[in-house]
This record gives sequence, structure tokens and C-alpha cells, in this order.
Amino acid sequence: MTVKALYDYDFPSADRAEVFGDDQLVYVLWDGNPLLCSAACFRVPKHMPFGEFLSTVVHPWAASDPDFDPAAVHNWRLFDEAIDPEADRSLAELGVGHKALLLFSTH
Amino acid sequence: MSSTLRKVGIDIQESEDNRALIDAIRADNPDLTIRHLPGLVKLQAAGQIVINRQTVEEKLGREWDTGEFQLAIVSYAGNFSEWDDDRILVKWEH
Amino acid sequence: MTIELSKTARKKLPLKERYARLTRDLDWEPSYVAREELFPYTRYEGIKIHDWNGWQDPFRLTVDAYYKYQAEKDKRLYAVLDSFAQGQGHLTLSDASYLNAVKLFIQGVTPLEYAAHRHFAFLARHLEGPAPRFAALCQSIDELRHCQTQIHTISNYNKYYDGFHSWSKMYDRVWYLSVPKSLLDDAMSAGPFEFLISISFSFEYLLTNLLFVPFMSGASFNGDLPTMSFGFSAQSDESRDMTLGLEAIKFLLEQDDDTVPIIQDWIDKWFWRAYRMSGLVAGMMDYMLPKPVMAWNEAFELYFEDQMLGGLFPDLKYYGIKPPRHVDDAIAEKDKLSHDIYRILHNFSFAAALTTQTPSETHMAWLSEQYPQTFDRYYRPVWEKHRRIEASGGRVFFQGLPQLCQVCQVPMAFSEASDPTQICLRRSEFRSETFHTCSDGCKWIFDREPEKYVQAWLPVHQIHQGNCGGRSIPEVLAWYGIQDGDNGEYKGSPDQQAWASWHADETGPVK
Repeated sequence: MTVKALYDYDFPSADRAEVFGDDQLVYVLWDGNPLLCSAACFRVPKHMPFGEFLSTVVHPWAASDPDFDPAAVHNWRLFDEAIDPEADRSLAELGVGHKALLLFSTH
Repeated sequence: MSSTLRKVGIDIQESEDNRALIDAIRADNPDLTIRHLPGLVKLQAAGQIVINRQTVEEKLGREWDTGEFQLAIVSYAGNFSEWDDDRILVKWEH
Repeated sequence: MTIELSKTARKKLPLKERYARLTRDLDWEPSYVAREELFPYTRYEGIKIHDWNGWQDPFRLTVDAYYKYQAEKDKRLYAVLDSFAQGQGHLTLSDASYLNAVKLFIQGVTPLEYAAHRHFAFLARHLEGPAPRFAALCQSIDELRHCQTQIHTISNYNKYYDGFHSWSKMYDRVWYLSVPKSLLDDAMSAGPFEFLISISFSFEYLLTNLLFVPFMSGASFNGDLPTMSFGFSAQSDESRDMTLGLEAIKFLLEQDDDTVPIIQDWIDKWFWRAYRMSGLVAGMMDYMLPKPVMAWNEAFELYFEDQMLGGLFPDLKYYGIKPPRHVDDAIAEKDKLSHDIYRILHNFSFAAALTTQTPSETHMAWLSEQYPQTFDRYYRPVWEKHRRIEASGGRVFFQGLPQLCQVCQVPMAFSEASDPTQICLRRSEFRSETFHTCSDGCKWIFDREPEKYVQAWLPVHQIHQGNCGGRSIPEVLAWYGIQDGDNGEYKGSPDQQAWASWHADETGPVK
């Protein structure tokens, strides 16, 4: 226990996985585009296929930038590792777990 | 010598009353620099700034308690090393 | 010409003695309760105090003097508030868009005053020495005064402009206000000594000029007499509060050598937490003032680098204290901070109780001049893209929710020191769960006390949990208390339209 307290300081985490049930939080960063100030935070089913994740979640958000071209998306990373996500594999199968960070580039 | 001493500073509200106060501080602190910003007068000196009640009273033309300085001060850089009925001293301790 | 002054002898006690009799001499040793029972909070943080009477109060204020001077300050302030209202001062601002800075202030700063008031009242009971207790009592009343006077000062604008109406409710709910709220909650849930270092020292001394003077000077430059007057009125309290902060740290350091590393850790933590929050001020100074005062980088150099690093820390070196751990990161950021913060607000003002707008050509020329190293290269292209999109009728907002830092709770929009085009991403694992932070500073804070920060009420995650009125944006905005006119783009907003119409019948030059 690192927090100094007059009692046993032990409390559950506010955003632990079980709070989201079959869903999870996933962050997506459009690397190198300062028009969007930060990564986005989405709540999605753990077993959502990646293709559906792109078309229903990521692309609509990325289209906040009117110059967004889905065909230009490449160079996916999961945290620091390059990945090559296939459209029919689920987020869970791809190793994209609760509070994972995905990054992509468009140039 | 003064070039090696760190600057202390006092920021004072720009007001009618405080003009006399600033005059008094200038009289007792020969190396004082004064910079005007909107509504604010920034006083700086190397090492220390002293405020003597007697000098303030002479410039103001009335009695003045050192406690009244609380109404004038906006902020400061340094320590209040002394504050009694006759004198206030701002300087760095170490 | 000399002036004859009254030569009657002063009948009152000298200041020093008056102060001792009305503070120290009213204390007593408990006779039927153990000291530890009477003061249960002063040991658990590991701070050792050998002599509480070592606390010096240079202001030597007594209750009678306190109320006399405070009443005088209030009288002067309320006279200004009345005359501004009587003179229709709400029409003499530089521009209605300036008021977004004031909205940020009442939503994000005023509630902090109230929180500080509460906690200083707690300290006024629970610190063991009469001098620090009395100083804490004065500060508690000071903070309540600030809260009240800010409310009165700003209430006049609420009659004419949007965004001011529900600041207290919004402080508890709205995403960008969790930044100041979580800071005070963190301090209030720490022990009394950490609170003294976090608020009295780091907030009220180290960074106070960076937090207050920009707002107050901004007010002065932009025709906002009431806020400026409030600022000067409060700042004279602040000098006393700053003194408490400095006295607190010296007192603690002088008591025992074992205290030094504990204090150093707290300085490291609280400098960074308060500095991250001051980013909101940076964004305000550089982007929300039609008549800017000075740029953030200049203010940071003057108020922090020169006065604090150059003045205060050499003083503290005597005790073995070093400048804050991540101070170099703050210095490295000074040409980027305001631009990163305003990009956040600009992206998300659809969900805020203030409006934002892309800077004009003139404004960008000023930014370019103030930030020769960074603006034209990294930020002008972004704003020019916004201008192009807006010229054809569009307006970019972030169609989603941002990634927030687990500690400071600001959207993670800060960049790596080595590369302004790379978002700074840090993370930690705790109990098999991932936590994201925006910087080395916030990561260090998280890793030091993870049990605390894993409990954070992060607005974005709470929305996703369904705890903020619903999962859709309109439901969330309703829960936030945001009404039409409060949010979004400034141009075309009710505030902007009202301003234009109120000045439309002028026969002279219109601003």
C-alpha cells in the first residue's frame, strides 16, 4: 500500500474490465493529424470484427476531418507493435483488449 | 555587490493612495526599479526592499499602520523577513 | 513643506505582542484528552513535528485587523461592481468573445475557491499549533470571500450572456472541469501536510502568478473592470496566502531532516499537477483574449522561470530541496502548451459551456511573433485548414470522445519534447489493468500512488458507462446542464449576435 492512510486503503478501479461486461474501451489515434487533438475513446463489443469496427466506429470519427480517405489508412499499430488486422477477425482475437491503444497513419 | 544578490519584488495596486507608498519605498530603496503594467506597479530590487512607516507617513500626509500595506500588495517574490509596527522587510532568507 | 503629524503616543500594544496575545496565548494543553486524540491527522503522513511553536506568521494578523482590512477591500470592490453595472459595462468589453475566458474562470476556478475554503477550515481545526491554525482560519475565510466575490462579480454577465448560469453543477459533471476538480479532490483527500504543500505552496505560491495574473490582466486589457477589480482585491489576500505556503514549507523542512524527501516528493507531484491545470490558463491567454496581454511563454518565463526557479528555489536549496522533478518538461513545452490546449477546446466546444473560434489572420500574426519556434511550423497549418473548411460553411468538431490522462484528466493532446508532431503517450499496468497518462510527469504521479488514481472519475469513461445521462451526446449535454447558446462555435452564436445587435445602432466607429 503506497497511499498513506489511517485505514486499509484498498478500493476497486473505476474502469476495470468487468464494469463494461461484454464491451471494452478502445482508444484509436490518427497518428500525425493535428486537426484531431488526441486519440478517441470508444466503447465497443470485445468480439466486434475489425472490419465492422472500422466502418461503424473509426471511419465516422476520422471523417471529422473532411479530407479523411479510408483507403489511405495503413500502418496499424497496437501499442508499440505493428499489426496487420484482418477485417473478419475480432478485436479480442487480434489482441485488442480493454483500454488498448490502436494507431494508424494516412501518409 | 548588488549584482550578485537575487531580486526581490513586490507588486502593488495602482491607486491614488499607493502613489505615496511607492514614493516612500523609492526614497528608502535607491536601487529600486519600477515597472508599470495595467493597474499594477512592479517594484524590484536586488537583495531586499524595506518599507518604513515614517517615510510613508511623510509622503502620505497622514498616519499609516504597517498593516495597511495588506490593502496595497498584490503579490511578491521573496520573504517577509520582518513586519512590525515600524518596518516591513522583504528579502530572500538564504 | 513638512506636514505636522499627530504626536500623541500610541496607546495600543506593539504588533508583535498584540498578535501573540490574540493567537498563541489563547492556546492550551489538553488536560483530559490525549493530544493524539485531539489531533488525529498530524502523524500518519510520516511528517515529524517537534515544536509547533516554530511556525512564524510574518503578517501577524489579528482578528480585528483581519476584518477591518477585508471589509475595506469588499467596500472598494462592490463600488466598482455597482458602477460597472450602472454604466452598462457589459457593452464596453473588447468583444463578447472575451467572455469565454470569464466562463472558464467561473466554471473552473470559482469552485476551487470553495473547495479550498472547506479544507482550510478543516486545517483550522486539525493543525496542532495556534499560529498555523489561525493562519488556516484566515485563509479559509479568504477563500470563501474569493468564491463569493467572484460569483457577485461575474453574475452581472449572466444577465446578458450565455454559459454562466450553472457553473456549480457543471463543475461536478463536465469533462474539462474535471481537470480542476480532480486536482482539488486529490489535495483534499491527502493528509493535512500534503495539502499544505499542494495548495498553499504549489498552487498559492509557486504557480499563483501564472494562474491569476493572466486572468486579471486579461480582464483589464479587455474592458472587464469587475473581474480585474476582483483580481486585485483577491490578490492582496493572496500575498497572505502565499506567505502561509512559504511558511508551511519552511516550517516542515526545519523540523526534521527526515521530512526533506517527503516534501520533495510532494513538490514534484504538485508542481506537475498544478502546472498541467495551468495549461487551461495558457490556452486562455493566447487564444481567448481579443486584446492579449502577453503570451504564455513570456508569462511562464517571468513568473516561473525567473521568479521561482531563479528566486525561490535557490532559497530552498538551503534545506536540501531541488527544483521540481519534471520542471524541464514544462520549460520545454512553453512554446507548445497553449496551442495544444486550444486545439482541444476548439475540437470539443460543442460539449462545453463556452464557445471557441479559429484565430483570425491578425491573431495568427501575433501568435507567430510570440512563438517564432513553433507557431508557423506546427500550428498555423492546423488553423489555416480550419479557416478553409469554415470558409465553405463547415466547422470541424471531434465526432467522438477523447482519450483522457488518468491523472490530470486533460485530453491527451500533448506532444513529445523531441517531436511536436508526436502525441506523448505513456502507460502503466496496475492489477492487470492498463492506465494511460499524458506525460512523464503524470505517469510518475500515477506510479507513486496507483491505488488512488485508479479510482478517478474520468468523464469520458463515465459517459461510456452510462453514468452521465445517457450514451448519446444530446443526453450528455442535457445532463451537463448545457443550454443552447452555451456551446459550440463563437461566430454566429447568440452571444456574438447579441453583441452585434447591441452595437448596431451606434453612430460612431464600431469595433
